[in-house]
Amino acid sequence: MEIKPIFSALMRSKTGPILVAVQVALSLAILANALHIVSVRQEVAARPTGIANEEQVFSISVKALNPGGHEQQIATQNSETAALRAVPGITSVANVNQIVLSRSGNYNSVAANREQERSTASPSMYVTSDSLVKTWGLKIIDGRDFTPQDVLEFDQKTSKAFPTVALITKVLGQKVWPDAASFVGKKMYYGTGAEAREVTVIGVIDTLETPSAAMGADGEMSTMVPARTSGSSRTLYTLRAEPGQRDRAMKDAEEAIRKLHNGQVVVHSKTQSEQRVNRYKADYALAWMLITVSVLLMMVTASGIVGMASLWVTQRRKQIGVRRALGARKFDILRYFVTENLMITTTGIVGGLLGALALNQLLVSKLELARLPAEYMVIGAAAFWALGIAAVYGPAWRAASISPALATRSA
Amino acid sequence: MFQYYFLLGVRSLRRNPVLTALMVLILAIGVAASVSTLTILHVMSGDPIPGKSERLIVPLIDNGPLKGYTPGEREGDEMSYRDAVNLLASGQGDRRTAIRGASGTVEPARKDMPVFTVEGLTPTRDFFAMFEVPFLHGGAWSEADDKAGADVVVLSSKLAEKLFGNANPVGQRVRMFGFDYSVVGVFGKWNPVPRYHRIVGGPGAFGDEDEFYIPFHNAIRHEMGQNGNMNCSSDRGPGYQALLDSECIWIQFWFELHSVADRPQLQAWLDAYASEQRKLGRLQRNAPNKLFNVMEWLEEQKVVGKDSRLSAMLAFGFLILCLVNTIGLLLAKFSVRAPEVGVRRALGASRKEIFTQFLIESAVVGLAGGILGLLLALGALSLIGSISEQIAVTTHMDWMMLLVTFVMSVSAAILAGLLPTWRACQVTPALQLKSQ
Repeated sequence: MEIKPIFSALMRSKTGPILVAVQVALSLAILANALHIVSVRQEVAARPTGIANEEQVFSISVKALNPGGHEQQIATQNSETAALRAVPGITSVANVNQIVLSRSGNYNSVAANREQERSTASPSMYVTSDSLVKTWGLKIIDGRDFTPQDVLEFDQKTSKAFPTVALITKVLGQKVWPDAASFVGKKMYYGTGAEAREVTVIGVIDTLETPSAAMGADGEMSTMVPARTSGSSRTLYTLRAEPGQRDRAMKDAEEAIRKLHNGQVVVHSKTQSEQRVNRYKADYALAWMLITVSVLLMMVTASGIVGMASLWVTQRRKQIGVRRALGARKFDILRYFVTENLMITTTGIVGGLLGALALNQLLVSKLELARLPAEYMVIGAAAFWALGIAAVYGPAWRAASISPALATRSA
Repeated sequence: MFQYYFLLGVRSLRRNPVLTALMVLILAIGVAASVSTLTILHVMSGDPIPGKSERLIVPLIDNGPLKGYTPGEREGDEMSYRDAVNLLASGQGDRRTAIRGASGTVEPARKDMPVFTVEGLTPTRDFFAMFEVPFLHGGAWSEADDKAGADVVVLSSKLAEKLFGNANPVGQRVRMFGFDYSVVGVFGKWNPVPRYHRIVGGPGAFGDEDEFYIPFHNAIRHEMGQNGNMNCSSDRGPGYQALLDSECIWIQFWFELHSVADRPQLQAWLDAYASEQRKLGRLQRNAPNKLFNVMEWLEEQKVVGKDSRLSAMLAFGFLILCLVNTIGLLLAKFSVRAPEVGVRRALGASRKEIFTQFLIESAVVGLAGGILGLLLALGALSLIGSISEQIAVTTHMDWMMLLVTFVMSVSAAILAGLLPTWRACQVTPALQLKSQ
């Protein structure tokens, strides 16, 4: 119907429409990629650690000034645990060597066989003398948790002792024994060769992330062994409080430890939520930066469309007046401008989709990012169609409101 | 004439206030986005010690096990105690230092202050001269204290003030890690960005300032635990001596060369050292021994993260969009001034003069955009800094970046003004005058 005359009008002055189309293309190319990166980061930051109800969990690190010898350190650990359990609102306490998402921890390579040349995986190793499974609410999908009889007690400084049983995560089991139906009862080795330590897998944990929570499967490769050791520079406990009691219980727990040591101690505590925020700080920052840029992109493009459309309306005042005088309705004028704009934005969107793919290709090759899924291009295209119509509506309405009598008279 | 056109340009800013404001704002946003990301990149990848960065050298010797080794991979970025001690005794280069992390408790003499923990490094005496650590009081410990691993400490000004107030603490005693240390020096604010002296092993390139330095051999003598990474490829026996004898890597080493020309000589010495050790049954991988100067080391450690590069790339894409937008807006602004151009041309102005006038007018818009963009960039940087502590140290703008902001903004505006200005010059005076 009207497309042909609109098109030939566009072809008469190409610069303006080309500029608008280029803007749409550039913004769409950037927007689609930015949104994709944001959603990838959000997905990463929202991965479950395996800990149930994270907001109830916190950890407390204790560094005594005069830790004493092995016997004394073990006794101190027992009295510290008892003092923490006695804090009102605390439902569970476990001694542990490292905390999920804390970005600092132990990694020991493991193998299915002593004779292997290279180890199979390098999972993180949690060491606990209590039931970490209970405190963190981990899900055991096969086998059993440790019992107090499993816990091995030794001095890290003088002994080479090592526990004989271990829990592993499902992901680690699948990596070490790809074909096995069940991992319970399997023998696993820490290290390879004659010095490798043999443990028996007694249970499988559904999910437990490592302290660094790396991307992909590596972030869920964890093992857990039962031991109570002396000789490390600080003792770490993780605690679960009753719902809503965490902050108060954390303060009371710190106080209880200080009292136990008569103040001769350095105590630090941190909630699991803080650990999560710290771990993903860079991802959040990047996501915010990208969202800001995306919003600005849309605004700049919209202002470009409004600016150009307003200019055209002013330039064509006379013609609009003539058309109206010859019987065109307001709606016809409105439709003219909206159709014209749709043609321009569509051209821009086609260019933008190609641009988005090209930019994604560049990001993939230079920065090893993920490929852009088609839905982001669809969403981006739809967003710019809507934006184009919304932006042109104001100027188009002003054009439609031009009074034919006034517009033709001045000529 | 330039001045007159400039004034005209300033005056024309007021002619279409909405359009002009939009133009300035869009240019400002584009410039702010690219300048703030560029500042972060610039600081992250800048030379932290200009003039000396080529003479400070990190040596790497691969002491990993031969079993399961594929050539090209590397055991780690630090070295074992055995190698560190041998290199310290080597006499190579002007200065040498071995660095590792230490943390422990401080028991203040004042009873009202609770016990607290501190984190610092255990370098050798040369460290202070090598990295140009500025001293407020005292200085580095003596050669003898260095060798003997005496109980001496250099404090940060912050820690010194916390413990001793504003008095000069040199000669005072402080109880740290359960021993009595005597203070030999206090250093002023020193936290290079990036922390190139300790990118590996610790909290990374953008961590907090070190709070103290104690002699390397002192930490060993007191059997202090390592604060930071330790990478052990094989199982080591229990006890501290076993750690020192092991192939665990946990110490970072630095050489300072007399001149860049000495580098091949250092490389030759290191190769000779490695083959000597190989005769003793160590270093079986026979991997190439590597040397890195400061900038090579920053590159090797990928100090400039992918996220920063990504942000910068997208921000520049955004700037291009803003430019295209400004072209459109300038086109609109100039097109309504065709009658004015017609009159001027009829009165004898050449195309060149019209061109100059309109281009200067675009530059004025660019200047306004630059000033606003700078303010926005400062705001954005402080916002980014408040979101992430690690980036906070890198978000300081320097004169260089200030200049870049202006040059970028003005040249962007001139670039954007080229097409609209050229179009304005095409006005035919006769046609314009007739239609009026």
